[in-house]
Amino acid sequence: MRRTLRGRLAAPAALVGAVAIVGVVAFWPSGAMATASTTNYATPTTTTTLPPLMAQHTTPTTIGTTARPSPAARAKAAVTAQGITYAVPPDSFIAPGQALFSANCASCHGPEASGTSRAPNLQGLGAGTVDFWVSTGRMPLANPTAQAIRKPPKFDRLQTLEISTFVQSLTPDQGVGIPLVNLSNADLENGNSLFTLNCAACHTITGAGDALAGGAYAPSLHLATTTQIVEAIRSGPGNMPQFSQGNITDPEARDIAAYVHGVIQHPANRGGFGLGGIGPVGEGFVGLLLGVGLLMLVCFWIGERT
Amino acid sequence: MIDASLRWVDDRLGVAKGGRTFLDKIFPDHWSFMLGEIALYSFVVLLGTGVFLSLYYVPSAHEIVYHGSYLPLRGQKVSEAYASSVGLSFDVKSGLLMRQAHHWAADIFLGSIAVHMARVFFTGAFRKPRELNWIVGVTMLILGIVNGFLGYSLPDDLVSGTGIRIAFSIVESIPLVGSYLGFFLFGGNYPGSGIILERFFLLHILIVPALIVGLLGAHLGLLVKQKHTQFPGKGKTEHNVVGSPMFPTFMAKTNGFLFMTVGVIFLLGGFAQINPIWQFGQYEPYQISYAVQPDWYMGWLDGALRIMPSWEWVGWGHTIPLEVFLPAVIFPGIIFNIFIVWPFLEAKRTKDRAYHNLLDRPRDRPKRTGAGAMMLMLLFMVFCASSTDVLANFFHIKLNYVLWFFRIAVIVIPIITYFITYQICQEMRHAEGVGKRKRPNVVFRSDDGEYSTVATEPRPGDGHEELDAIPVPTYIDLTPPELATGAGVRRVMR
Amino acid sequence: MSAEPTKAPSVTPVALSEPHLQPLAKHPERVQILAGLAMFVGTLGFLGFGIVYWVSDQTQWEAATFGFGMLLLGAGVIAWGKYLMAQGPFVEERHDFHSTEAERAAMTVAITERGGLEIQRRKVLGGLFVLGSTVMGIVLLFPLIRSLGPKPGNVLFETNWRKGSQLVALDGRVITVDDLDVGGVLTVFPQGFVGSSPDQTILIRLAQLPAGAAFPLQSPGRPEWTTAGYVAYSKMCTHLGCPVGLYQEQTQQLVCPCHQSIFNVKAGAVPEFGPAPRPLPQLPIYADANGNLRASDGYNQAVGPGFWERP
Repeated sequence: MRRTLRGRLAAPAALVGAVAIVGVVAFWPSGAMATASTTNYATPTTTTTLPPLMAQHTTPTTIGTTARPSPAARAKAAVTAQGITYAVPPDSFIAPGQALFSANCASCHGPEASGTSRAPNLQGLGAGTVDFWVSTGRMPLANPTAQAIRKPPKFDRLQTLEISTFVQSLTPDQGVGIPLVNLSNADLENGNSLFTLNCAACHTITGAGDALAGGAYAPSLHLATTTQIVEAIRSGPGNMPQFSQGNITDPEARDIAAYVHGVIQHPANRGGFGLGGIGPVGEGFVGLLLGVGLLMLVCFWIGERT
Repeated sequence: MIDASLRWVDDRLGVAKGGRTFLDKIFPDHWSFMLGEIALYSFVVLLGTGVFLSLYYVPSAHEIVYHGSYLPLRGQKVSEAYASSVGLSFDVKSGLLMRQAHHWAADIFLGSIAVHMARVFFTGAFRKPRELNWIVGVTMLILGIVNGFLGYSLPDDLVSGTGIRIAFSIVESIPLVGSYLGFFLFGGNYPGSGIILERFFLLHILIVPALIVGLLGAHLGLLVKQKHTQFPGKGKTEHNVVGSPMFPTFMAKTNGFLFMTVGVIFLLGGFAQINPIWQFGQYEPYQISYAVQPDWYMGWLDGALRIMPSWEWVGWGHTIPLEVFLPAVIFPGIIFNIFIVWPFLEAKRTKDRAYHNLLDRPRDRPKRTGAGAMMLMLLFMVFCASSTDVLANFFHIKLNYVLWFFRIAVIVIPIITYFITYQICQEMRHAEGVGKRKRPNVVFRSDDGEYSTVATEPRPGDGHEELDAIPVPTYIDLTPPELATGAGVRRVMR
Repeated sequence: MSAEPTKAPSVTPVALSEPHLQPLAKHPERVQILAGLAMFVGTLGFLGFGIVYWVSDQTQWEAATFGFGMLLLGAGVIAWGKYLMAQGPFVEERHDFHSTEAERAAMTVAITERGGLEIQRRKVLGGLFVLGSTVMGIVLLFPLIRSLGPKPGNVLFETNWRKGSQLVALDGRVITVDDLDVGGVLTVFPQGFVGSSPDQTILIRLAQLPAGAAFPLQSPGRPEWTTAGYVAYSKMCTHLGCPVGLYQEQTQQLVCPCHQSIFNVKAGAVPEFGPAPRPLPQLPIYADANGNLRASDGYNQAVGPGFWERP
């Protein structure tokens, strides 16, 4: 019995709908998904990123700020043959930092940041550590029972630095300073090797992040600034190991930051849409639902349905 | 001219008689009979793109320094295999398109085999006289899976190299001979002398494809000899085949389908990135990435390995790593053996030794359909278990919970599936006209509140009766009617 | 010519107006236009591919032109075949393709009688032939299998770690007691064997202790095999050999990225979850007079996954 056009289209229409949904989900560009890039790899990146120590306007989640570096900062940059120097903002930041800390952090970390039953001791961790947690928005904590997640930061850059300076001032000689990262001499190939050896096992080789034991997870690297990358390497936030100078030197950390910034965050997706960068799981979905699915639709068209 | 050429060939090969029978061959038209063609044509793409790739790929683990155009690798020591694969992706014209089309074609090849196999199973097309063809098909499935694994391991990248390490350990786990077999295959302790890449290459481009091509010939040859099955319907019996003739109708449709299959594969090959090996880097046995799953058709084995509890047998000076041997060797062995013997198992159980050229509706064999659904669900559960870490990350669930879920689901859900499927089949069998559109009844309400229904007219096309089938005409009278010389007299123009 | 065809006289020509020979489409001219258009655009697509290939070799453009060319050309041919060709349906008869009983009997007899007679007469020769062929088959397997590679021997039980082996990083630099902070992790090899797969070892600093002080590992970990808060384990997972590179500093667990086996670093890397059956073997280390980290012995068991000969 030959059915009418509408009847014949019902099943294929449903399949088209399913295929379309899968196609949209797989190919939708998002922050975590890599999209087709036109990055030209003919020249290595020469961008200099200096976190604006004095400026207020830039949000920490942008890569390569638009701030105009002060003469002091530029002088520091000239010195960074090592790729990274560590600095602490001036003492004038301490007082406003203490005010911000008392209002926002002391209820859990204690007024002297020495810790309570709710939150750990911050003394000795250094400005760089605090800067990482606050500038990525992980602190203030959204959910005290789960791993801190990256979210839009509550404080602007200046306030973040003020809080960091205050905590650093409690133990002036200990902890990680704010890294000033100069990528101009970065070796992408070295960064590639180091990233693969040290970072890929948790963050995946494409920096997509994945689940760890006990409800923890290694986050995606697609939104991290070079400053945050070096801060994380040196301070080892959460379950991340701490990579000290004897383990990963400053030039090596700079190379890793350059690789994450230049390649992980701008992957050469020459082959088309990146499908999430999680490998065969995404590819299998697309291949089966889109590939075989589309061809089955063609079979519906060609053949009979009685 | 056709006549002259045919005479020439027929004088030497005698093909005219058999050739005409072949051209008149009838192919049933149901859409589900075309699923095997998806597999056939994606295999054609595999062969074509594979030849292209093999002109550039170097199957050597010998280390060189990368000097190609992908900057983050420049200066790094990589194997020639990896360098040539990245070279194909960046420095060979249309190389990346061919590489990705090849990889997508492999995924689609095995996916279409799975749906084709499901169709054959659920309609009972494997019954006498087609048990042999079923076995040939299952063998091609196994060879296809193996060749896919060999193929994606050739670029020697970080992700596929991990798979090779796992393969070595699986071979090692075989009792008595495991370590010997592993050392023989790899030319020494892992990673061996590097000869494994050359052996994979030879197997992948020559030995396994030759086997598949031979089996494919047998598969199609059996199909020609035994003729295709068909669903029961008007005019269709156990002793005929109703459908379209090979020439020109079926050839046109299947040729067009070949083109469309190639088109879909190449569109995926250019727009959906697959296996971006330059992002993974050269394989080193002391390096690893997270979220590493094998390609989908190996996923069921990876999932089985993940959910297996850590039962290792140690005794009398020996170890049998059951946590490897059972899920990676015994489990697939059992599954494939079930596939192979199923026609005979079913024949024995149903005591049915008759010829079957008419297919079953799946609902008419609820036990078989339920068993098939159960097997599919088992394989699907194990397949999903291969992405435990990705699922844990995506849904923000603890890794341990996800794993325990799959350990239980792998057993419980297939059993539930059997019963649900059985029930659905029974209900569908007893419901009149299920799945077909029924004529709607219009309900009228009179002013007094009385309801009455009126059956509507059949929709145009609903009552369409198919013509009775006729044999393929040998001669068609091409005389236009106006040239007929008399009533009922027609001229044949040769 | 109005002669009857010289083939079998029962074959009569079928009229052109026969319904089975009519196209399926109600308006075949329209379908022809559509199909023709599809094929034409498809051909343009192929030309486009040719141009793109020469001009830019851009993967997405190549795929779009070639892929849509194929899709459209194919769709046109399919439309031709489905809507414009004879709609049918046509039928052919199935013929029993199995032989008659008589033919089968004759075949069986051909084998058993002709062959059987010979075998009966020359039993010894038959037996010798079978024996020779069997032995041939068996010995032919030898070069096929045995020549492939060496016997394992003791290789699976040995690594290059010895008493006094210097721990070095991947770049060859010597590891000293001050190199890692607490919570640091590093992949190390014995000096001279960097990159060697069975030697891969993961070094973790659990605490800031003086050199020579033992970290209180729980069993089956050996405290006396630690120094200055450093502990070293084989990086090769005991499940399937993947490098166990994922260290969780807060929970002090090693997680294998392949199948998520979880090892407790403070308890001798014993597996707490997942499919790994045995703890990661521990490498005994000490700090020498210069503060360099060295192995005080090799591994006390075979590293990596299990195998038959492993006791």
